[in-house]
Amino acid sequence: MNISLTNIKGAAPLAVAAAVSALVAGCASAPRVAPAAEAVRVRLTALQSDPQLAGKADAAIQDAEAAVRTAEMPQGDKVLTAHRVYLADRKVESARALAEMRVAEEQQTQLANQRERARLDARTREADAAAERARMAQAEGEVQRRAADAARDEAGAARLQTDQLEQQASRMRQQISDLEAEVTERGIVVTVGDMLFTSGKANLQQGTTGNLDKLVTFLGEHPQRMVRIEGHTDSAGTAESNHLLSLRRAESVKSYLVGNGVGVDRVTTAGLGEDVPVADNSTSIGRQMNRRVEVIINHEPSSASN
Amino acid sequence: MNIAFNTRFPRRSAAGVGAPALAGLAVVLALQGCAATPPVPTASLDAATQAISSAERSDAARHAAGELSEARARLAAANTEVTAKRMTRAQQLADEARADAELASARAGVAKARAANEELRRSTGTMIEEMQRNAGDPQ
Repeated sequence: MNISLTNIKGAAPLAVAAAVSALVAGCASAPRVAPAAEAVRVRLTALQSDPQLAGKADAAIQDAEAAVRTAEMPQGDKVLTAHRVYLADRKVESARALAEMRVAEEQQTQLANQRERARLDARTREADAAAERARMAQAEGEVQRRAADAARDEAGAARLQTDQLEQQASRMRQQISDLEAEVTERGIVVTVGDMLFTSGKANLQQGTTGNLDKLVTFLGEHPQRMVRIEGHTDSAGTAESNHLLSLRRAESVKSYLVGNGVGVDRVTTAGLGEDVPVADNSTSIGRQMNRRVEVIINHEPSSASN
Repeated sequence: MNIAFNTRFPRRSAAGVGAPALAGLAVVLALQGCAATPPVPTASLDAATQAISSAERSDAARHAAGELSEARARLAAANTEVTAKRMTRAQQLADEARADAELASARAGVAKARAANEELRRSTGTMIEEMQRNAGDPQ
């Protein structure tokens, strides 16, 4: 190039020389930057203008900047140039890696926070679930407790009822025993002996009604029971007179009961005369046993099932 | 060879040493001839060795194997240059080895930080998934 210029503009050697020297100087100053450093500069600029990374590794980026400038300084030693470019390249890459590491570390903080939130969330839910299970268990326990209470109450009531029934039965047995009564299929039979009556008469003797008073008490306690009064005689005398006498004595007992508060419609009477003996009429003991009034208290309709 | 060395040497040290001193040194070296051994770039070699050790401690062998083996290769080359008494080249290679090792450390750091992030994401995801599954269960 220099030679061709000299050939063309031979007429003005001085001007050419000046132009050439200017051109040479121009050429020498134009590639101020070592060409091999350009690629490194491009990557450093990219790092410096990356909004995510630029501020993250200031010292390393400044270091890289200095290394790139050194690499850009033009000089003749190719080995040295390559060396400086290599160093600059490594430093730019290191600066980028450090900046990326900072970004990752910042993300790590966020992620750790997220994880902590998730963990707390999980624990909260777990606690809620446990509380819910406890609540349900408690509710279930409450239901069972109520059921147990109800069962216990029922059992208690049943026992009470049993006790009451037993007491009633016991009292009944006692009363029957007090009345010197006999429990038969016809009912509770209270036999009123002939000593209550004057011989041949139907009137009750004064002061001998103790047994009948117990009967009155008993009937007062069992108002639903009906009473049948049967009069009986021994075989002495005519059947007709005995029949009449037995009826009158039965009526006499009825009068006493009604007079002491037993409802008149609960009591029926019958005179059976000498027809239903309980003992031998040939002996005086037997005849005495046959002379009697039987008060038959019917069994309670409901007590049959109990 | 001796002459070639002497012409290169002042250029490297020009920044710190005055011109008369350099001239004197050149003269001394010229007089001493081949018996003179240029100084071994101990500081650069040590720095490179330390940087490689540091990179190894940072798990660079796993996360930045290429950079680390580059560093080792350059340090080995630097030592070869020392044996051959090419100290300028030895220092360059040692400095390059150090830069390689530092890059290996930095890249290992990035890789580890990203791996840790990935693990965090994964475990958080698992936790949320488990939580949702538990919430979906009747008990």
